[in-house]
Parts: sequence; structure tokens; C-alpha cells
Amino acid sequence: MAQLTQAIALGLLIGGVYALMASGLTLIFGVMHIINVAQGAFLVLMAMVTWWLWHETGIDPILASVITTPLMFAFGWVAYRLLISRVRGSSPSMSILLTFGFAMVIEGVLNVTAGNKFKSATPSYFEESFRVGSISLPKAQVFGFLAAMGILGVLFFVLTRTWTGRAIRAATQNPSGAALVGVGASGTAALAFAIGSATTGVGGSILSVLYPFFPASHYDWISRLLGIVVLGGMGSLPGALIGAGILGLAETLTATYGSLSWSTLVFYIVIMVVLLVRPQGLFGARLREDVT
Amino acid sequence: MTASPPWQSQISTGSALTRVRRRGRTRRIVAVAVAAAMALAACGQRPSESSGSDTGKPIVIGASLPLTGDFAQPGGEAKRGYEVWQNMVNAKGGVLGRQVQLKITDDASSQDTVVADYTKLITQDKVDLLLGTFSSLLNYAASSVAEKNRMVFVEPAGGATNMFTRGFKYLFFAQPASAPHQADVFVDWVKSLPEAERPKTAAYPIQDDPFTKPVIQTMQKDLEALGVRTVYSSLYPADTTNFQTIAGTLAGKKPDLIAQGAVFEDGVGLVRSLKQLNYSPKALFQTSAPSNAGQYSDGVGVANTEGVFYTVSWHQDATTPLNSEFVAAYKKAYNADPAEDAADAFAAAQVVQAAVEKVGAIDQDKIRDWLHSNTVQTILGPLSWKATGEPNGKFLLAQWQSGKAQVVAPAEVATSKNIINPKPAWK
Amino acid sequence: MNRLRALPRAHLIAGLCLVALLMYPVVNPWEPYPQAVLLLGFLLAIQASSWNIISGYGGYTSLGHSMFLGLGSYTAGILALRWGVNPLWVAPLGGVTALVIAVLIGSVVLRTRGHAFVIITIAMLLAAQIIATNFQSLTQGSDGITLELPFWGRDFQNIPFYYIFLSLLVLTVLFSAWLRRTKFGAGLVAIREDEGKAASIGVNTTRFKIVAYAASAFMIGTAGGVYAYYLTFINPIGSFAILGSVLIVLATLTGGRGTLYGPVIGAFIVNLVSEAATVYGGGSQSRVLIFGLALMLVVLFLPKGILPTVEAWCRRRHPAEVEYTDQAGALNRGPVTTRERPLPEVVAAGVADEGARRPGSGDDPPLLDVRGVSKRFGGLTAVDGADLTVRQGTITALIGPNGSGKTTLFNLITGGMAADSGEIWFDGRRIDGMRPWKRGHLGLGRTYQVTRLFKEMTVQQNVVAPLPDSRWRTMLSDAVHGHEADRARELLDIVGLGRMADQPAGSLSFGQQKLVELAQVLMLQPKLILLDEPAGGVNPSLLGRLTEVIRELNAAGVTFLIVEHNIPLVLELCDPVVVFSHGAPIAEGPPERIQADPVVLDAYLGDDWRPAATDPPAHHSPGTATGEVVR
Repeated sequence: MAQLTQAIALGLLIGGVYALMASGLTLIFGVMHIINVAQGAFLVLMAMVTWWLWHETGIDPILASVITTPLMFAFGWVAYRLLISRVRGSSPSMSILLTFGFAMVIEGVLNVTAGNKFKSATPSYFEESFRVGSISLPKAQVFGFLAAMGILGVLFFVLTRTWTGRAIRAATQNPSGAALVGVGASGTAALAFAIGSATTGVGGSILSVLYPFFPASHYDWISRLLGIVVLGGMGSLPGALIGAGILGLAETLTATYGSLSWSTLVFYIVIMVVLLVRPQGLFGARLREDVT
Repeated sequence: MTASPPWQSQISTGSALTRVRRRGRTRRIVAVAVAAAMALAACGQRPSESSGSDTGKPIVIGASLPLTGDFAQPGGEAKRGYEVWQNMVNAKGGVLGRQVQLKITDDASSQDTVVADYTKLITQDKVDLLLGTFSSLLNYAASSVAEKNRMVFVEPAGGATNMFTRGFKYLFFAQPASAPHQADVFVDWVKSLPEAERPKTAAYPIQDDPFTKPVIQTMQKDLEALGVRTVYSSLYPADTTNFQTIAGTLAGKKPDLIAQGAVFEDGVGLVRSLKQLNYSPKALFQTSAPSNAGQYSDGVGVANTEGVFYTVSWHQDATTPLNSEFVAAYKKAYNADPAEDAADAFAAAQVVQAAVEKVGAIDQDKIRDWLHSNTVQTILGPLSWKATGEPNGKFLLAQWQSGKAQVVAPAEVATSKNIINPKPAWK
Repeated sequence: MNRLRALPRAHLIAGLCLVALLMYPVVNPWEPYPQAVLLLGFLLAIQASSWNIISGYGGYTSLGHSMFLGLGSYTAGILALRWGVNPLWVAPLGGVTALVIAVLIGSVVLRTRGHAFVIITIAMLLAAQIIATNFQSLTQGSDGITLELPFWGRDFQNIPFYYIFLSLLVLTVLFSAWLRRTKFGAGLVAIREDEGKAASIGVNTTRFKIVAYAASAFMIGTAGGVYAYYLTFINPIGSFAILGSVLIVLATLTGGRGTLYGPVIGAFIVNLVSEAATVYGGGSQSRVLIFGLALMLVVLFLPKGILPTVEAWCRRRHPAEVEYTDQAGALNRGPVTTRERPLPEVVAAGVADEGARRPGSGDDPPLLDVRGVSKRFGGLTAVDGADLTVRQGTITALIGPNGSGKTTLFNLITGGMAADSGEIWFDGRRIDGMRPWKRGHLGLGRTYQVTRLFKEMTVQQNVVAPLPDSRWRTMLSDAVHGHEADRARELLDIVGLGRMADQPAGSLSFGQQKLVELAQVLMLQPKLILLDEPAGGVNPSLLGRLTEVIRELNAAGVTFLIVEHNIPLVLELCDPVVVFSHGAPIAEGPPERIQADPVVLDAYLGDDWRPAATDPPAHHSPGTATGEVVR
């Protein structure tokens, strides 16, 4: 029983972090129907920056997100203006391939500058755990979870309570209608891309503490995040939350009661079963057939 | 969709005039194609006709290494090891009185490329001798090219079990033991303990990796034969980054010994997670990971390295012939401590050198025969081989003591006489 | 004749290259290294050409296509070990495995449109790797499988592989060329261009996509078996590497996605560049960087790929050639008017069993029966419990103000959308649960208010693409020559656009596009055609031709349901007329009666304004009636 509680608690903590990481991806998809395959590379890039900051200045890696988040916001904005906006008109697969190339470039640059080695930030509290009854919760995991939830809360607030957020959501639901009431499609898209990228600032900072990483790690991350987004329903923020929780639980439960080797596969099987029943994912809106 | 329609090339564009023009163009194309084919056609020598090596020229030794990609780290170290050897040998007058020239290409950790590279080295560049590449993944493919072309293939890495079941005759693994026997020396140590001090229970978390898996699996079998009860044995995938669940399970089972088949980051990750849960086993054995000196102690914290066991093919302070020269030359050239991979590469080159010098000529079959029936002294210690190319020796048992890795067994090469047992708790 | 001789230019060059490649090992047999480089080029070209079938023709990008190479390798490797046979003999079974897995994955993921596919293909590649690693009893896990060395002498080491891969490449290209000449190939491009529209012209999009995915897997799987023998070693990491998939994509994009030879050209470029980087690059850490940059540059600056770009450039340099062709085509066929040509049997065939009926007789049996159908979009009820009956042989008009739900009703009838409630019956069968193409096969066709032709296809291809039934024979029939192509020609002649057959559909005027769309629908051999504002934006001379065609078809037994704002046209052409307002019919009857019905005037002009107007309301004149709001 304690084992089960432990697995579930850990799974939810892990899932919370995944949720933050996937939220940016699903937001970007929701607004502009672009799958940003470079999202994983953004994460690893920011993890590397966080690691470097921590290594050089000793700043707490999770607190370093105060720096990485605005950095990523700016990076996302520039990346959108310089790259992504160029393929918006063409087919969706071109944007996938462009961001895929972008991910490889980031990986290559990290390879050259930071070397092909595993890194991991280890702040002082890294080895400590909170004990709640029979279960123990690693402090780093708890802090990471709290940071993730905090940022998700802010994101939710921005999207529901501010004009900017409403504009973004309007653009998600009805681009032409949004344009009519003065929400510029291009500006909104750039903003959404920048916000979506900014989540990887925090995400990367958390990642640097929780997981060892190296330049090619981004493939692992992007496939995980894409899995979450497909499972939850593409473009749906609640879907990303649920999908992330399911992945976290699938990982810890499979590892506890089976073998860790199968945990990723179990998650993919869950995805396929869900797609079999609900092709649009758990929370996805059915693609409305074009209406003239 | 920006792509053009598939039948675009089929849109008819014919006129009498253009057809005439096209015929001219066609003729030009034919000419270019033929010329290109001819240009590619180099001298025609059958691969089986080995050219008599020109004794005045340097001996060219070819190798393809993963300088980029997944195996870039060991590949880069191997390159350094080969180069240190080359410089040392050339400084002493070369091999058979000829200078040695390395021809190293980058295979980018890709099987396709490694095959093409070795094919090129053998058939196009016509190198005199070959050295192996890094990781079994690449050596499987590379060694078959060498075998096909009947070239002696001394590999500095690639001790996976299957390597030696293929009946290759030109393959030699230049480390003291193949993967399944790399932990023998640890088992020997456990055996040497008084019954009461031996671990009663053991847990075996193993990365699913062709090198680490056989090491731990053999160890598990041997220890079970000694009466050590297995309470946990499970593979985890190579990309596992989160060890909290494994650590949690291990903490629940409370084994005396944890023997982890670790590559590197997973070794660090498990120690950290165990520490988080504050479970410290009486003995901790990890493959490979603890041998990455600085990185490992940085990763887990110097204090926490105390008492961790691992086995290794080579140690910096070993008293084997030429070892101190190798370490000094490496430090001088690269301003860093040599890694095990560099030493293994150096040893592989030593094996080739010894055989060529003893045979007195570059004759692949004679070199092969000589290696099969003789022992070579290397910086790893003496190496000799079974007919399959599998080495006969044993690894060194090393242990972290006071922030430094020491060889603790076998006794004759040990750098530290005392063995920490049991391991102290985490700091 | 002209066409035959003109066609082979690209094929001629390809043939010459093939001859050169066939000769190469004969000329230069003892050089295994260039052979190895070339044969890896063949392998990449096989994969790129295959990938092109689903992702180039069909437009569904797969980012995990190297999975099939791994599947083929593993199948051949495992069977070779179990049965003790040479991996070469079981290589085709690798293709079979790839095919089966593709069908399984495709049946789950390709049922819907959109982005899930690309993501799942990556996930499946990784899943395959996990399975290969963990299913130890079958795959020997991460240790991998070692195979015996080739049985032939070392002198010939790479030559057999060279010829095997070359033959597989030739087969793949021939297969790809054949596919795209069939209606299946046309349907795939149609899916790429406009999937919803493709479904409405009888293209079973689900089946097409799954078949395309499977077709793109088979050759790669077979090549994978050979490749395993070439490497003599397979393991999970090498066999299911994502970089392999990237190379496939990069190669096809570079060469020209959706073209026949583009992927092959691209594969050779990518392969040679990457080999040159290996040999001359000197071990830099930047390989990933280079491939990444190359991919980005190609996407940004060469999105169509080299081949189409070069072709476009050539066409700009020699514009005369194209003009000449057009002229030749025009001279061969000459202008055709509908009036001078009788309705060909091919059109009548679909309705022959119904017998030709005279239009307008009110007690004809109902062909289409809409019963209490509703459709809501959020708070807006677009169609509100509508009942509508279209009787056999009539030309029924559906009129009503903008936003009254007419187009939505069309979408519900043809299956573009699902109704929230109600039943739709067609020709004695309930169809509201059927997929759009199934309704098309039953004889239900439609055109769109704003035409939805496949703009990158030629006019002829647009017309040849529809499928009147679900038979595999129809699907795989030749779309370039033969019966189907002839029929398309005849239909184009009927609407008077035969000479435009080889023009890209996007270059036609709006009115011409409307006529082509009608011809397209006729290819379905429809019993009922729904026309959505056929007259909107069409110039008077074309409008005359359009009404002629409608009358002739109706005379041959085809029933029409027409949404139209051009009231004089409606009154002249249609009987009965149904008036729609606020999502439901409010009046029905012969044109004369409708014209005088005050309810209708109310619906059109609102309650406040009630003059004794006899003219139709001006703001519904053709051309201004655009953008009906349905949401």
C-alpha cells in the first residue's frame, strides 16, 4: 500500500512538471496549428543555460527561471519573427520540418559549445526529502512541482483574465472572427509563440535539477511532450494537464510494479487505445470539416 | 500544399524544334554520364590481391572512430589514445623502422558510415593495418568488413557477448576480459570474505546496454551460486533519467549489496536517488560509471563516493610497462587525465605493434596466427586471446577511497591494500 | 502520339542514369568503396521514394519512416536465425511485416485528419525501439542480432548488394510511377490538396491514406532485410534511429516532394554530401548542426525542392514550348460546345436504371428525404429541425436569405458535417451515419459556393479523380490513359472546357472552375447533384452553358438540388422551389406560387418593409452573394 501511495505521489509530482513543459507546446499548437518540434530542444537549451548559471554563480537552479523565462520569451519572439512566420502560410508539415531542423541546430550548437556530456545541477537540497507518513517526497521534485504549478497558474491567469490572453484564446477559437475585432493574427501568434517558448524557460530550469541531460536528450523530451499533447487532445490546456498526469503515473506505476523498460511503451499503448476510441484525444475538439 | 503535383515532370513539352535541341542535349548527357563512370573507374585491382607494401613509406594504420554523435565521448578519447601511441612510437623510430601514420575518419556513430569508412580504408586507401572503433554497435559492423577482407581487427572496445560467437578469425579484443567476465574479480573478492561478512542479499538494477548487462548478469549468477539471495533484478532502459522509483523499490527491499549495471549518468542518478531516500547499502558496485573520475565525484559529491566498487580495464597508477609514459604523454598533449577509453585504444595499438614487430612484416595472416598463440604486454597488463578473439584475462577491482579511485584487487597490482567494507552511510 | 514522344524527357535522363549505374560495377568491379557509397545512396533513395508516396503525394508527413527499415531488418534477421536460411531469401517477408505494421498503425491514426499522424509516427519509431530492446526472446534485446557474412567471395563483396539495392530502387520508382498514374494516385494528391473535398467526390480518404502508408512501407521493409545482411548486425538503436528518418525527409524535400524523381535525386545529393562531409569534414562536432541547417534552409528557401524549381526555371527560359503544346492541344480538339454534343452514355450510365423521367411531375418518388434535421454551432442553430424532400427527376431550388442554413444543410446531406439530430434518407437508404465518400458512391454529388478544385492538379486530373464506387479495381485503374481518362475528357467536353484539360486548375477563371467542378461531380455518375450557388460570380456566357448542361443532364435523369440567389435563373430553371429561413423550410411549391408568396417576401426583406415588390431583391444579385455565414 505504501508502495502504491509512493508511486502515485511521485507520479503526480512528475506529471506536474510534464504538464508545464507540455503546456507551451499545446498553446502554440492551439493558436497557430504549428507543432513546435524544437520545444524539446528549447528545454534542453534552457537546462544548459540554467546549469551554467548555477555552475558559475551558484544561483539556485529553480530560481534561475527568473532569468531563463524572459530569455526564452524573447528567444521565442525572435524565433517566430525570423523563422516560424515564414512558413505560416504553407502546409503544416513544413513548420514541423522547420522546427525539427531548428531542434537539430540547437542540438548541434550545444554539442559544439557545451560538449556531448551529461550534465545535471545539484543544489544543496538536492539529496533531501520531505517525509509524509510512510512516503518520502524528494525536495527537488516538490520544488520543481510547485514552480511548475505556479507558472501554470500564472499562464492560466494570463489566458483567462487579461486582454492579451483573451486575444490569444480568441485567435485559437476563431481566427477570422478575432481579426474582425482587431486582434492581429500575426501579433497574437508571435505572442503565443513567445509565451509558449517562455514555459520552457522554467521547464528547462526544473529539468536541469531533476534529470541529467545532454544535447541529444531533446528527442526523448519532445516525444514525451508530443505524446502528452496527442493524448490530451491537441491544443487543449486541460488535456495537457491530464495527459501529463497519466504519463507521470504510467512511468512510476510501471516502474514499481513491472519494469521501467516498459513504462514508455505503456504510455504509447495508452495513447493508441485512446486514439482508437477518441481519435481527437481526450480533450481535443473534433476537427470541424471546412465550411465554406 | 507547396509541393508540386507529381506529374509535373510528365507535362508534355514537345515540339520538333525542341526535340532537335533536346537530342543534342541528350548526347551531351550521355557523354557526361560515360565520362563520370570512367572518372570513377580507378585502377583495377582485386581486393584479394594484396599489394606488396612499399617498405620505404610510412606504415598507414586506418581506423574510423565515432568522433561525433552518440559515442563521441569515448570516440574522442580513443583518438587521443591512438595519437599518443603514434607519437611515442614514431619518436622511437617507428615500427619495423618505418614511421607510423594514422588515418582516422569520423563515422558519426553511424553503422552505415562505419562500414563505408572501413571499406574505404581497406580497399581504396589500402591501409596496411587496422585498428578498431568504439562501442560494440559499431564494431559489429566494422569487424565484419575487416573479416570479409581478411584484415586483422584489434578493437579497443566492443566486449559484448555476441562479438565472439561469430567465428571471426581476425578479431581481437584488446581489453583484459569480455563483458561477461568483467566482474569476476569482484566475485572473487566476495568469495574471499569470511561467510559472515558476505552480503546476504543483493539487488541488480541494470541498464539495458550490451556492455553492462552481461557484466551484472554473470555476477548475479556467480553470487547466487555463493548463496547471495537476489531480492531485485531488473533492466531499465538506456534513456532512463528518473531513478526515484527504482531507488524507492530498492530502499524497500533493503539489500546488502546493490550491483548496478551503469553506463554513466544512470550511475550518478541512482546514487543521488538512493541518497534522497537515505538508503545506503553495505556494498555498492557499479560498472563503468565510477571510472569517470572527475565527472562521477562531481555528480554524486566526493563524500558519497567512499567505498563504491567498480571494475576497470586500466588504472592510471598501474605499474604496467609504459603506463607512466603513456599517462605523462597524454597529460602533456591534452592537459587532462587520460580516460580509460584512451588507455584501451593505446593498448589496442600496442597489440598491433607487438605482433607486427614479432612477425617482422605486414602479413595479416601471420599477424593473426601470432596473436592467437602469444601474449602481448600492454599498459593494461598482459593480453592473450581465445580462438574467437575473446581475451583470457581479468579486470581490476577498484574502489573509491578518500576521494580517489584505488585498485584493490588483484593484490599484485593493487594501489591500496585496504578495502572499505561496509560502505559508510551517505554524507 | 505527340504526347508519347514528348513524355520521356525526364524518363530518358533517368534511363541513361540507370544504364550508367548498371554498367558501373562492370567497368570498375574491384572498387568496393564507391560501390558502398552508391548502394547506400540507393537505399536512401528507396526510402525517400517510398516516403514520397504517403508524405509527398498524400501530404501526410511521417517522421518515423526509418522504422520500416528496422522492421524489415529484424524480420529478416530473426527468420534467418530461426530457419537457418540466408537473410536475402526472407527479405521480402521484411516488406510484408512493414506492410502489416503500417496497416495496423494507419488504421488507428489515419482515420482522422490532422496532426496526430506525424506525432504518432515518431512515437511508433521509439516504441519499435523499445520493443526491440525489451522483447529479448525474439530480438535478443540490446545485444542485437549478428548474421553470417555474405557467402560470396571477397572480390565481389559489395557488387551483389549494389545490384540488389539498385533493382529495388528501380522497382520502387516504377511502383511509385504506376501509383501516381492511377486514380489512387490522383486521389492521394486530392487528399493533400483538400481532404474534405476529396471525401465528397467519393475518395475513401481513410482507405487511401492507409493503403498509401502501407505502400510506402513495403519496399523499405524489403530493403531492410537486405540491409541487415549487408551490415551483418542489427540492434535496436541502429535500426530505429531518428536520424535515419530525418535523412529520408531531408532527401525528399531537397529533391522535390511529390515528384517522381525528386526523392531519388535528393537521396543522392544528401548521401554524397554526407559522405563528403565524412571524408573531408575532418571530424568536426557539427554533423547534426549541418543536417539541421540544411533542413531549415531547404524548408525556408527551397520548399518545393530542386527538381520542381529547376523545372520551373527551365519553363521560364523556354516559355515557347508550353505555348506550343497548348496550341497543339487546341488544334487537335477544337472548341466544343455542349449544344452540339449529345450527352454521352458515360453520364447517363449512372442513372440508366432509373429511367429517364420528365422533370417537374410532383408525384415522383422522393430521392432525397431530410427528416427533422438539426445542427447547432454553440449557441447558434444553423439548421433547425428541417424537413426537405427532393423528388426524382426534379430540379429543386433551395432559396433563402444569407445565413438561413442552406449551405449547412448541404454539408449535412453530403456528410461534410454530422447532424445533431434527425434523419437523412437517399434513394431508399438512410445515409446520415455514412462517411462522405459512401454517400458519393450512392450517387450523391455536390459543388461548392466557392469552388474547391485541387488547384495544383490539372483540370483533367481534377475530373478524373472522383470515384463512383468503392471497388479496388476502380481505385487502381489508369488515370492518364484508358477508359477513365477518356471519360474525363468527354465530361470536360460536355462543359466545354476540353481544351483546358492540361492547364492547372488554379489558373482557370472562377466561372470555368465552377464548370470543372460540375464535370468532376459528373464523374461520380450521380443520381442527385447539389449545386451551391452555381451562378455566383459566373459571367453570362458561361452561365448560359451551365444552364444548358443542367437541363441536358436533367433530361437524362439526373436530379438537382440547387441553392441559388439569382432568382430569375431559379424561376426559369427550377421546379419546385423551397424557401429556407432560420434553418428550416417555410414554403415550397412551383416557382409561380413562391414568387407571389408573402411569407417568402417576409423572410427575404424582414417584417418592417412590405412593399408590393415584384422584382427579386437587388442585394441578392449574383456576384455579391458571398461569404454566407454558417458558424
